[in-house]
Amino acid sequence: MAETQTLQTPVVAARDRAEESDAPARSLWRRMEPWAFGLGSIVVLLLVWQFLPSFVPMKAGTKLFFTVPSHIAGTLWRMFATGSVWAPLGVSATAFAIGLGLAIAAGLPLGILLGRSTVLNAMFDPFITAFNATPRLVFLPLLMLWFGIGLWSKVAIVFLGALFPLLINTYEGVRNSDKLLINVVRSFGANEWDIARLVVLPNSLPFIIVGLRLAIGRAILGVVVAEFFGAQDGLGVIMVRAASGFRVDVVFAGLIIFAGLSLLMTGLVQLLEKRMSRWRPDHANAG
Amino acid sequence: MAEETTVRQSFAARYRNFLLGALAVVLFFAAWQAVFLWVPFNPLFITKPSLIAAGYVDLIESGELFHDLAVSSVPFFLGLGAAVIIGVPLGILMGWRPRVGYALDPLMTIFYASPLVALAPLLVIFFGVGVWGKSIIVFTLSVFPFIFNAYAGVHAVDRLLINVVRSLGGGEWALYRKVIFPSVLPYIVAASRVAVGRALIAVLVGEFFAASEGIGFAISRFGDIFAMDRMFGCILTVMVIAVILTEGIRWAERAAFPWRVGR
Repeated sequence: MAETQTLQTPVVAARDRAEESDAPARSLWRRMEPWAFGLGSIVVLLLVWQFLPSFVPMKAGTKLFFTVPSHIAGTLWRMFATGSVWAPLGVSATAFAIGLGLAIAAGLPLGILLGRSTVLNAMFDPFITAFNATPRLVFLPLLMLWFGIGLWSKVAIVFLGALFPLLINTYEGVRNSDKLLINVVRSFGANEWDIARLVVLPNSLPFIIVGLRLAIGRAILGVVVAEFFGAQDGLGVIMVRAASGFRVDVVFAGLIIFAGLSLLMTGLVQLLEKRMSRWRPDHANAG
Repeated sequence: MAEETTVRQSFAARYRNFLLGALAVVLFFAAWQAVFLWVPFNPLFITKPSLIAAGYVDLIESGELFHDLAVSSVPFFLGLGAAVIIGVPLGILMGWRPRVGYALDPLMTIFYASPLVALAPLLVIFFGVGVWGKSIIVFTLSVFPFIFNAYAGVHAVDRLLINVVRSLGGGEWALYRKVIFPSVLPYIVAASRVAVGRALIAVLVGEFFAASEGIGFAISRFGDIFAMDRMFGCILTVMVIAVILTEGIRWAERAAFPWRVGR
């Protein structure tokens, strides 16, 4: 840096210096602008919400339904401080984990199978289309009859919700794998299992991970909804009870916990996605 | 006609996938019907296609099914319509005015990422389970796909076209009408496919809670009284409607924006 500057004529150097002293200030604002606006709007929203009761007169009935951010934060803090959140959260997380695990265990092999066999694909297609288009929620009353109220009906709805994004994305990934590579491996004497392991699976991994991200969202949705209607414990049950008891702050606290978990897990999957597609020259955003 | 002479494929070869799919569906229902020849049939837990068909005839003849569908469709369309009317302009504004985008992007992302269906009990208590309560649930769940897709659509607008309109003396309004809206339209149609699914979820959630009519209510009530045949009839109806809506939009996308196929 020092060397190049000495070579410059004084005028150029001066102009450079002027730009240097000026430009970072402007570009700092440029860089900070999205953050400032984004954070600002959230802060403004929270403040307006917080102080709305002091500006707008409310009837007693409306006040019953109303809560302010500080109250929600307090409730959230108390839930964690007293540890009362862990038991219901554990119940919800168990259903989530079992359902998602089963969906992965079933969706991946089935997706690979359908991707490799056009006949099976054509035969399963109407069912997959129908189930994927239908909100899985419609099966909830049926699943509650079959599995009873409790863990397994939740697991079933989580499984149904998470299965199809995984299955469809795995299938798309398999269909997208390089035919040339498959032929090369095959001419070297690989069987169908080797092809799946050596070519198809690594190729479809980015697709599968995108599917996993979608599946996590669906699974959380499944847990929430299943607990609203057919469960005896879990975070969703706490929320629905709170709502009918006009404890609006608890409902929002639950929503924040679910949203936080959803963001956390999606973030982890995104990290995984980045890590696993590092070796790809330009397929980093495939799918 | 000309096609048939040039492409000499047999009927079976040309419609192979369709035929295989249809065969699988027929086989599925046949197997379902036949399995109870060996497996003991418990009408409290399962039903069979013949009974579903009989129950379905009943549902149609009594007019119950159409009544429930009509009741459910009102909040569905009201909520979805409001989501389009509010979501699309908001998304376009966010995309076109960078500062609006900066200000709203994180906020909207937070909303979009959180399982908003968790707010349903609250909305039901605020607004009741009538048309308005359900419409608001539908709106809450389906507005974000429109916002984000319109937002993404504006970012994909061809800068060259904007400059062309500007140099030919077009004003802000002409830009919106001639460049931005047409390029955003495919994104909005794609969004509506997502939104329709979410709207269906919203209607069902609203009706499972505490409605007194509607297709979601019918499903949970038939479940409560162990009328499995009618319950399955309603579930199958919802499935058919969902497929028609999503595949219809997909078809419209292909027909209207063929250059976007494959995205």
